Amino acid sequence: MTTTSAAASTTAIPEVVTNSAAPRPSGWLSWLTSTDHKRIGIMYIVASWMFLVIGGVEALLIRLQLAVPDNTLLSPQTYNALFTMHGTTMVFLFLMPMIAGIANYTVPLMIGARDMAFPKLNALSLWLFIAGGIVFYGSLLFSPAECGWTCYAPLSETAFSPSNGVDSWIFLVHLVGVSSFVGALNIFVTITNMRAPGMSWGRVPLFVWTMLTQAILLIISIPVIAGAVTLLLTDRHFGTHFYDPTNGGSPLLWQHLFWFFGHPEVYILVLPGFGVISEILPVFSRKPIFGYKAIVAATLGIAVIGTLVWAHHMFTVPLPFFLMIFFMLGTYLVAIPTGVKIFNWVFTMWRGAIEFPVAMLYALGFLATFLLGGITGIFLATFPVDWQLHDTYFVVAHFHYTIVGGAVFSMMAGLYYWFPKMTGRMMNEKLGRVSFALTLGGFWITFLIQHSAGLSGMPRRVYEYADVNNLGTYNMISTVGSFILALGVLLTIINILQSLKNGAKAGPDPWRGNTLEWFTPSPPPVNNFDIVPRVRSVEPMQDIRRQIERQDRVGEEAGVAAGS
Amino acid sequence: MRSPITSLPAKNGILFGIVLVSALLIPATGAFAGILAPEAGGGTPNAEAIRSLYLLIFGLGCIVFFGVGGLMIWTIVRYRASKGAVAVQVHGNNRLEVGWTVGAALLLVLISVVTFIKLDQIKNPPNSSANGLSTPQNASFSSGPAKPSLPPNGRSLNIDVNGQQYLWRYTYADTDTNNLNNVFSYEQMVVPTNTTVTLSIRAQDVQHSWWIPELGGKFDAVPGYTNYTWFNITEPGVYDGQCAELCGRGHATMIASVKAVSPDEFKLWYASQKASIVAAEKQAATARNALIAKDAAALKNAPSADAPAAAPAPAAAVDGKKIFVAGVPATGALACGSCHALADAGTTAAVGPNLDTTLKGQSAAMIKASTLYPNKLISKGFAANIMPANYGSSLTKAQLDALVKYLNDAVNGK
Ligand code: HEC
Ligand SMILES: [Cu+2]
Repeated sequence: MTTTSAAASTTAIPEVVTNSAAPRPSGWLSWLTSTDHKRIGIMYIVASWMFLVIGGVEALLIRLQLAVPDNTLLSPQTYNALFTMHGTTMVFLFLMPMIAGIANYTVPLMIGARDMAFPKLNALSLWLFIAGGIVFYGSLLFSPAECGWTCYAPLSETAFSPSNGVDSWIFLVHLVGVSSFVGALNIFVTITNMRAPGMSWGRVPLFVWTMLTQAILLIISIPVIAGAVTLLLTDRHFGTHFYDPTNGGSPLLWQHLFWFFGHPEVYILVLPGFGVISEILPVFSRKPIFGYKAIVAATLGIAVIGTLVWAHHMFTVPLPFFLMIFFMLGTYLVAIPTGVKIFNWVFTMWRGAIEFPVAMLYALGFLATFLLGGITGIFLATFPVDWQLHDTYFVVAHFHYTIVGGAVFSMMAGLYYWFPKMTGRMMNEKLGRVSFALTLGGFWITFLIQHSAGLSGMPRRVYEYADVNNLGTYNMISTVGSFILALGVLLTIINILQSLKNGAKAGPDPWRGNTLEWFTPSPPPVNNFDIVPRVRSVEPMQDIRRQIERQDRVGEEAGVAAGS
Repeated sequence: MRSPITSLPAKNGILFGIVLVSALLIPATGAFAGILAPEAGGGTPNAEAIRSLYLLIFGLGCIVFFGVGGLMIWTIVRYRASKGAVAVQVHGNNRLEVGWTVGAALLLVLISVVTFIKLDQIKNPPNSSANGLSTPQNASFSSGPAKPSLPPNGRSLNIDVNGQQYLWRYTYADTDTNNLNNVFSYEQMVVPTNTTVTLSIRAQDVQHSWWIPELGGKFDAVPGYTNYTWFNITEPGVYDGQCAELCGRGHATMIASVKAVSPDEFKLWYASQKASIVAAEKQAATARNALIAKDAAALKNAPSADAPAAAPAPAAAVDGKKIFVAGVPATGALACGSCHALADAGTTAAVGPNLDTTLKGQSAAMIKASTLYPNKLISKGFAANIMPANYGSSLTKAQLDALVKYLNDAVNGK
């Protein structure tokens, strides 16, 4: 073998030669100053999990206050600040950066690139997000915003929210907004320009497709929310009246601008989740994804239609009927591509040989949970029914089913799936299973019953409620569930910390994955790949494995022949 | 080698779903309202239509949930990795893909069609029944381009619903054009049964949302806009609800209720409410006039300003006490004393709280805030919108400061 190849190459091939490899820099300063997409990805994830803990504690305080009717544990001021911080934290400081972290780490690896297109901008994104978190939580030192994560005007105007809490909320949106915008540009350019040779659009991994779509959605919607909060800022401090009805402004302007961002935002959160699921299900079913093209088309379809349905969050404000009908039908339309993906995923498993590591369990938890979240979405899209359900605990339940089911469970799946790649070590499967069972069970206990609370007349964002219509029982169940859920998440955190030290060595490809990140060692070297293989299908690793098998067979045969 | 795709267990799943749904729906319509379906009971047609639309979607949703969920579980169990199991390498199936897309679309078309059918019943109020209150034509609080949906005969009892931190005020339309002499109430709205009641919903500070679950959907009260809804209650009773849009710290306690009584009882209530409002207004007016007269007399007896003996009054250019007792008629600042009792000023009116007791121990800043924004913090036992909210403009800054200083000194000592 070697002799023949040496004989074959008689002319010199130009190549980069180094005499010594620079040692990988270490120490905390090297992390802070890093522009390596992998380190940035990990820092994103670590920071986002810190915010998850904070947001989670806020959620538990909320649930404690609501555990029994007429509770006086928290004052209304504290309670309002808590749900404002909880929502804002989970959306802007946990989920978006968590997704950004996973994508940062995996997208370049999956497309066979050596880094992101703009490594320094990438670092800027990370630090802007962290700055946003600090600015927002700085308001704990005076008085945090109390206007909910939607911060509707005129409640958020100085006349009704004189404290600077709202201002720090505005600056948070500015900072994480710029962070996401720059990050989205980076992802977009990276995916469009830096794919491995042979990776035509039909061979791009589905997670990468969803990240590309997410980037487009961010580029469309972030400027709108940035503008909206800027107008709020000038209203508050520079004498304008954009949202002030007593001076010709309009509170509905805020709502339109906010939801023009806010609705795409839900796809911004769940589309990457769809991508992760579309990577994990085929690997552990040992089958190709069912309907690759259909899933890509659905993803793009969701992005296009998803930007045109924002006012389904506004069915209860004075809107002309034809608009309500337009937004209802638009929402149904976007429900179709979202809904039928579930069939694609189920049929990916159909006739497979399914294995159940924790990553796969979370993916299945995602399917079941998101299924219900999708169905309750149809209730809310039907505007007369929404009049009954809007702004109640039914809605709270619905969006936790979609966001936690769709985005959090899929990111947990992604975390368990890619942890070996990021650290070189396996997570503890047993602990992972316990954690999964508690998380999923706790989630369903917490939120299923909240539908009933809403149907029984409990509006959202109330710090206390009277004990009528069984509300006391429903809320107690929900509170118990939330602590089970929290325990589940805590076990995953413990699992991560333990596995970092004691986890079994993973090797480059512990799952027999399909995509290129499994081609390089775990964790990958700074430059990711010494050679980037040519991509011939959506599952390049399958091709490579098959090729190696073939070569082995040939080699064996040759060996046998030589030996005889 | 494995069962072909066409013999899905989905059929069983669907059957199972239908059975389960019907099992669930029967109790859901009765005692279990609230667990699986919105509350019902007022008998108003729009709420009933919304509820039946909900139940339809609920039924379809259950079928989809149990069908797809069943298929999922079956797949996971049936195709779990086992010895010798080989994954079949299929990449997709266009016919299936089209099939479920069309299937999902058809479900949604079905829901849309039923929604459109029900829309008329939800949107358009019927005429009041013969045993309802006979209401005058047209009296309504409508403004802006949007118009309330009125019954075919144009007659309804129109009530203006005004959301304010943290209280609902209801003003009943009458036939004259003066909106200041109308009957009003707070928190509890009293309405006649079998009568079409139309609501014009507004907000005066931040956004609120009007919601009585048993009477149909919620309608946001958005400052600067008017929103409309209606109901026609057949069952007498009290229907509770509360503000459904975050409006500040008192959001949770901003409750509302609608009490439906027979038209005759309603007439009695309306008359007595009117009488007590008129009486209260008369009382306030007499108190006001008496004060003004007393104040005028006091002014006459006071040494004239240019008398040399008078104390040089440089800074005393603005006299807080005088403003308290007499107001500033020129700018429309009503005298505080016409509503408030204050020992130092000798006033005894009881339209507003007794300031000697309520201001005891309060800071000057607090007094100033209460004077400028009377509706922000409503004193216990009193209603909003009685104390004028115009002192920010009808008093100059110097007058205001003098007034606040006077009050603070009078109540809390120098
Ligand atoms: C037309 C009647 C009326 C007039 C005139 C009026 N008030 Fe009032 N005031 C009320 C009523 C009713 C309340 C209680 C409801 C509320 O808090 O808004 C009240 C409340 C107050 C309070 C809050 C008391 C507390 O419990 O803390 C203060 C302070 C006050 N008024 C000061 C003034 C001053 C100063 C003026 C004159 C500049 C004035 N009011 C004029 C009717 C009036
Ligand atoms: Cu939405």
